[in-house]
Amino acid sequence: MIILDALQAVMSVDVLTAVTIGSISGIIIGGMPGLTATMAVALLIPITFSFTPLIGLSLMGGVYAGAMYGGSIAAILLSTPGTPAAAATAIEGYPLTKQGKGGLALKVSVIASFVGGTFSVIVLLLVSPLLAQFALKFGPPEYFLLALMGLTGVISVSTGGLAKGIMSGLIGLIIALIGTDAMSGMLRYTFGQVELYEGVSFMPALIGMFSIAQMLALTSEKRIANDNIDLSTIKREKMPKGMVPFIMLGTAVGTIVGIIPGEGATIAAFVSYNMAKQKSKFKDLFGKGNPEGIAAAESGNNACVGGSLVPLLTLGIPGNTVSAALMGGLMIQGLIPGPELFTKYGQITYGFILSLFIANIVFLVVGLFFAPYFARIALIPASILIAAISVFAVIGSYAINNSMFDVGLMLIFAFGGFFLDKLGFSLSAIILGMILGPIAESGFAQALTISGGTYGIFFASIPAKILWVIIIALLIQPLIGHYKSKNIENIAS
Amino acid sequence: MRKLISLVLFLATVIVSGSFAAYPSKAIKLIVPSKAGGSTDTTARLFAQTAKKYWKGARFIIVDKPGSGGLMGFEAEARSRADGYTLGLMFTPQIVAHIVAKRATYTLDSFKIIGNIAEDPEIVVVPAQSSVKNLDDLVKLAKSKKITAAVNGIGSDDFLAAKNFETAAGIKFNLMPTRGSTEEKAAILGNHIEVAFMNLSQMLAQHKAGKARIIAIMAKKRSDIAMDIKTAPEQGYNVLMTATRGMIINAKVKKSIADKISDLYTKVMNDKGFQAKTKKAFIFLKPMKGKVYRDYLEQLQKDTQKVYDVSPW
Repeated sequence: MIILDALQAVMSVDVLTAVTIGSISGIIIGGMPGLTATMAVALLIPITFSFTPLIGLSLMGGVYAGAMYGGSIAAILLSTPGTPAAAATAIEGYPLTKQGKGGLALKVSVIASFVGGTFSVIVLLLVSPLLAQFALKFGPPEYFLLALMGLTGVISVSTGGLAKGIMSGLIGLIIALIGTDAMSGMLRYTFGQVELYEGVSFMPALIGMFSIAQMLALTSEKRIANDNIDLSTIKREKMPKGMVPFIMLGTAVGTIVGIIPGEGATIAAFVSYNMAKQKSKFKDLFGKGNPEGIAAAESGNNACVGGSLVPLLTLGIPGNTVSAALMGGLMIQGLIPGPELFTKYGQITYGFILSLFIANIVFLVVGLFFAPYFARIALIPASILIAAISVFAVIGSYAINNSMFDVGLMLIFAFGGFFLDKLGFSLSAIILGMILGPIAESGFAQALTISGGTYGIFFASIPAKILWVIIIALLIQPLIGHYKSKNIENIAS
Repeated sequence: MRKLISLVLFLATVIVSGSFAAYPSKAIKLIVPSKAGGSTDTTARLFAQTAKKYWKGARFIIVDKPGSGGLMGFEAEARSRADGYTLGLMFTPQIVAHIVAKRATYTLDSFKIIGNIAEDPEIVVVPAQSSVKNLDDLVKLAKSKKITAAVNGIGSDDFLAAKNFETAAGIKFNLMPTRGSTEEKAAILGNHIEVAFMNLSQMLAQHKAGKARIIAIMAKKRSDIAMDIKTAPEQGYNVLMTATRGMIINAKVKKSIADKISDLYTKVMNDKGFQAKTKKAFIFLKPMKGKVYRDYLEQLQKDTQKVYDVSPW
């Protein structure tokens, strides 16, 4: 009954307007590197005082859902992921744009995002208390294993051979060592730079290695799309077949990973991408523009939106920085996370959840309608585009922490990334190592602190055992594939 | 010649209007040394919102400078231009802990202390399933076996509280530093560790919902919003710790301007709307004006130094 009341509340003009505005501004914010959903939600917190709780929350929820999708637009068209979670999307999306199939990539991305986002909200609506208990089973040893599972993706994202892929992953892990050791408080490789005490922030690294390195490569071209492509080819694209299993895969992975507090969306996107590659019949196309990869990665990161709200609403544990900011918004409205949210404040809570459905519909409509127009970016002359993107890259790197140091960092990563890419190293694997390194390290150290130094803790719980099985499964197939292709090469030579 | 005269006149007008224009005549930056969306950030945004009521037409720009336990933000505040157009938020004990650990290039003398805005008392929390009901139980358990205690980062209020409690009770924890209070929360709610040192606002909702048990608040008095939680001194352990959140400006700002800012601070702190909004956001106001707060900070620095001398980080 309470859900019907909530539905009635959501169907008011005010709430619908709030969701629509939230979702559309979310898309814009998510699409711009340097503007984050976290910032947007934080900005909204004091403003929402003057609104009713439901309007305030649906505005913030709309921004969250919209931004998660918006991150994929620039990732696909310009290889400039607006959020780290969209990095996996860029791996497949940008090559498609080069082939003049940017519009197709955008369509796949928006539909996958919609399905992932909507399914995870259904899960949130129906079974959150149950899932919250599942989330609590994850302690430090399981976080370590989760990060390890994400790191197996290094193999999938590497296109220049296994050895170089692993080396790239290690480079990322080594960069992640810079900063304060969380366990002892000691400084590691900071060279007296205050800015490095916190470690190398990965948004500048991401912008440098993905967008600027790509722009450097673009200097030798006239435009992003290959020469023989014109406007009429871009308009004619149809939705590819066979995406359904990959969207379902990403949705499942994203929802589950999203529920576990941590760097949810990025891990979810890469794990989904990794699984999609292993499942695919067209493995060779991965890295060269396979829409299957986009379908899995985008449904994966959007499914985290609903997932991350499960522990937030039931236990008050925010799954990531956006939901942490969202918690501030909830509390200001007098909504304290816990069981009461679903009973006493049920109308508002369920109303908020239902408004997320609408936010998903809004970005679906906007995304589908504008996809062909957005895709024309590929036809803009490189001389104009490169300048524009470089400006965004500098502003974006600065805006994350309001720090000029980060702009310098971005440039170092841009030039380093450009040459590493030319030498066949995988920039995606470096990013993966950088993002997952700190999670793996602290999970490992914390687990050993709890166990008093015995390694049994990594095999003790049921979730840990399941994670081990998945990790091994994710490793075996590509290794077999690797040796098979080696043998073929040997026979051939 | 006429051109020259008009130029001189023009410049004179510009200079006069520039230097004698009533402060504030342009946008004021408010540096927040932590992430957007956090509690300090919300405090700053609510403060700015209320301040506009008293300084008509004034614009405030919130600049989040997160990183390294506030160090990035504190350094930026110390290096800001001393024209009164940069205000800074800060939090304890990190601001003095960085001085003690020799990480900071500033000292307390780099700042003019406007006053404290809010505080978040330290608490000791155990999982709901735990047999530990009070501090004595905890000490007994810690003496019988090695138990894991989570603190949010090294050199934080949690860390100092845990260290001080170890000394007071004559025990030793298996200290597990986390990256953020979320990890502490998850570890306690999931019953993965025995105890955590956290702040009241972070666990109050879970305590009230019966999902975790706060066994002590490290303050002289019980908290209005959670009268059932006994203080540490009540239980025979004289360990006090709180995280305060205050406002500072560059020490070189002119007195006339600094006084205006102090006046604004007082007005905002007494504003009924500000009090109501912060209460809803779990921000517990604790006014301490200039000198009083300065003395508090100096004492805190001495206390932190003692802990650092015994076990440096």
